[in-house]
Amino acid sequence: MKLVGDLLAELIGMFVGDRRLTVGVLAIVAVAGVSIDVAGLDPLVGGSVLLLGCPLLLIDNVRRSAGPR
Amino acid sequence: MLSWSTAAPAVAAAFLASTVEVVEAFTIVLAVATMRGWRPAALGAAAGLGLLAGAVVLFGPLLDRIPLHALQLVIGVLLLLFGMGWLRKASLRAAGVIPLHDEDAIFATEASQLGEAASRRQQNLDWAAGITALKAVVLEGLEVVFIVIAVGAGRGLLVPASLGALAACALVLAIGALVHRPLSRVPENTLKFAVGTMLAAFGVFWTGEGLGLAWPAGDLALLPIAALFLFAGLIGAALARKAAVEIVV
Repeated sequence: MKLVGDLLAELIGMFVGDRRLTVGVLAIVAVAGVSIDVAGLDPLVGGSVLLLGCPLLLIDNVRRSAGPR
Repeated sequence: MLSWSTAAPAVAAAFLASTVEVVEAFTIVLAVATMRGWRPAALGAAAGLGLLAGAVVLFGPLLDRIPLHALQLVIGVLLLLFGMGWLRKASLRAAGVIPLHDEDAIFATEASQLGEAASRRQQNLDWAAGITALKAVVLEGLEVVFIVIAVGAGRGLLVPASLGALAACALVLAIGALVHRPLSRVPENTLKFAVGTMLAAFGVFWTGEGLGLAWPAGDLALLPIAALFLFAGLIGAALARKAAVEIVV
């Protein structure tokens, strides 16, 4: 049973290592999706949101993680 | 017919990620072999590999039945979460904020735990050692299976990606058999940086395609996207190093 528990913990940890990063990624994807599917904007706008948002989120997250808590 | 621009990033991502994970699993299997002999270590590792291969055979073809856009969106988001997670950790390690992965220390810890178990009880030690090896292979291999399936499914690249992963296994095991000690000189963090960059790029690319976007230049768009993530990781590491120094001062 411990093996199964460890396996599940590993699986969850693979995608939810840092809560702030996870929420940020999902928010960026949601904004990109809404801009294409709901707002009807050119898909390239949604792509640009992903393309710029994710690297900027990474930089901010890494910088914050090194700072005082 | 597969093109190199499509297959090469998938094979390279599977190969590099597998190298990192196999090195980590090898360290624990070697500790088991050193403490209890090669039989339980090899049996446990083989059972673990069998479980992982079963997962690929079971889930790989199943994914091909999901509509392509939905599959690209789900796998794209998972790749983004996973790849950016690796890149975040690699950046923080490069900045010295969190310690580098130390194979020698992991080897010593595993060997010590098995030694303590041996002093507590003599029965079923081979079984416990085999389970330790199996667990190491399954837990470390899980990420490899995800990467192989994620970069391989949907584009008919499951076999090339699996071959990339197997090549990494063969390489690490061959070197491990020769040196017969933890592979502590493998530049794990550099590899993790590279793999995180590639997976995050795949994540953006596939999420975009899943949302209905046709990237300009097709698969070649992966290269500038990866360059952007590499740049972001390096900037993040530099800023983190600066922030860490300011805290110390």
